[in-house]
Amino acid sequence: MKKFISMLCVLSMAVFAGCGSEVTDSTAESSQTGEMVNVGIAQFAEHGSLDNCVEGFKLGMAEAGFEEGVNVTYDLQNAQADMATCNQIAQAMTRGDNDLVCAVATPMAQAAYNAAEGNVPVIYTAVTDPVAAELANEDGSSVGNTTGTSDKLAVDAQLQMIRDFLPEAKTIGILYTTSEANSVSAIAEYKELAPSYGFEIVESGISQQSEVSMAATNLAGKVDCFSNLTDNTVVAALPVVLDAANQAGIPVFGSEIDQVRNGCAATEGLDYIELGKQTGAMAARVLNGEDISTIPYETISEYSLYINSDVLANLGLSVPEDLQASANDVK
Amino acid sequence: MDFVLDFIEQGFIYAIIAFGVYITYSILDFPDLTVDSSFPLGAAVGVLLIKNGVNPYLALPAAFLAGGISGLATGVIHAKFGVRDLLSGIITMTMLYSINHQIAGTSNVPLMNDENIFTLFNKAIEAVLPQNIASSIMPFSKLILIFIIMMITKILFDLYMKTKSGYLLRAVGDNEAVVATLAKNSGTVKIIGLVIANALVALAGCVMLQDQRYFDIGMGTGTIVIGLASVIIGINVFGKLSFIKGTTAVILGSVAYKACVAAAIEIGLPPSFLKLVIGALFLIILIVGNFSKKGAEK
Repeated sequence: MKKFISMLCVLSMAVFAGCGSEVTDSTAESSQTGEMVNVGIAQFAEHGSLDNCVEGFKLGMAEAGFEEGVNVTYDLQNAQADMATCNQIAQAMTRGDNDLVCAVATPMAQAAYNAAEGNVPVIYTAVTDPVAAELANEDGSSVGNTTGTSDKLAVDAQLQMIRDFLPEAKTIGILYTTSEANSVSAIAEYKELAPSYGFEIVESGISQQSEVSMAATNLAGKVDCFSNLTDNTVVAALPVVLDAANQAGIPVFGSEIDQVRNGCAATEGLDYIELGKQTGAMAARVLNGEDISTIPYETISEYSLYINSDVLANLGLSVPEDLQASANDVK
Repeated sequence: MDFVLDFIEQGFIYAIIAFGVYITYSILDFPDLTVDSSFPLGAAVGVLLIKNGVNPYLALPAAFLAGGISGLATGVIHAKFGVRDLLSGIITMTMLYSINHQIAGTSNVPLMNDENIFTLFNKAIEAVLPQNIASSIMPFSKLILIFIIMMITKILFDLYMKTKSGYLLRAVGDNEAVVATLAKNSGTVKIIGLVIANALVALAGCVMLQDQRYFDIGMGTGTIVIGLASVIIGINVFGKLSFIKGTTAVILGSVAYKACVAAAIEIGLPPSFLKLVIGALFLIILIVGNFSKKGAEK
């Protein structure tokens, strides 16, 4: 008899889990006044940029009339950068009673699109290259039942900005993770564009976070400045990168506003909250009945210059005159 | 219901990994970390072949073979060069990371628009069965195919364990001296075990690739943890039932582990608690398993 206790345990687990989902449903329904919409947010990993995407997404939805707790319920899940969990979250979210799933970052977007099998619309964000990820066609149109926003960097603008700040600089060092497709394609673009601004790119590839420190110190000795990508691993270890650069007395240019707030000198870059808002607006269009397969993916419509005046002062740098008007100080 | 289908499907794929870990951890008593890289190795081989137009079904034996070679590497490093077991797995795992990258071409390769074993299987169902039956089977087709692949693996594995080579494998884990008295080289037996184990893991990687339809270089991280959890749950909880074979216990263990993860997701706690909840559920299963073991002994 006791042998079956263990069997029962597993069975009860499944029942328990089933109850869990029903509980959330009933709370959602009890608070509703009008028709309640369920939106699943599946986030790949936890760090500033992606968190901002989610925050922005909710803001964008709210601006379009979908307010959390009023007529939309969010179910937020985070895979903590674990691929196996990523798949299970994608399945749970697309098979549940969600009306729409927002997938944050490339692996999550791929997993969600695959798991949805056309049943639930998937809106992605923070996917650098939706075409390479096979989430969009070459012309930017949807491959069906999915669309979203890309966090493609404004590499041209960033290089021009670095040139304005450092007229004498010759080399830019870039740290990136070889496993991140986003970074690999960004590096390629940097290398292609750098010569026209008189720069040479020196890259250093790492495979895990523990290698950032050594790679950063090594690279700092060889280059005139750093420029960051939206590389998840490197961004998560930003303080280590900043330390190495400070030791060598060179500036680090970020790729989005949060990095500048945390100690990068400046960026001509992304505001992930804005990107999230844009994504939220797209999601609202789909929830209002627009056919998702007719919406092409979007890139951020505006890049702005963000500076950290404290960091610039420490490095003995000043904002070039013609940039002063457009610079936003986020120290 | 769909939710149950999902974790059973995932559980069956990971059961193939668990067979491999069952050999190394449970039979050979060898902590083999190679699996964290042989899993994506199978997927990388799958990507290479499928992108070059090879039939997705042929990618499975190819992945199996590639995984075997990675196990061979670990085995040789350990048995022939005398490197400690844990370290030899780590060495192969580390080197494979670069090799996987090279084989797949880049770190993330989507296969959204390519044929895979599942799409071909669906086409076969539609072609062979009458339309009304085919459409009622369709929602379960993935599960059916994964089940078939897993069962073939399990049956072959069980048959192998009854061969002379299979008995030697058990003997090395139990008592190396016995193998020596039989005038057999225990090192060679260990190598064979590692080859089979990693071949199975890579096969699972190739199935997983086609199920999730994208390759990512990071997909292997934590494979050993899931494999070990499945084996330990399987053996501790289900293995004591006399009518259940070791491999069957491992399958149940794998499904139970995936049920834990699915349950943790469904409970819907703050996302950062996910791993804590998975760990806690895992612990509960083990504790309950240990209690019922004590009961059975009395």
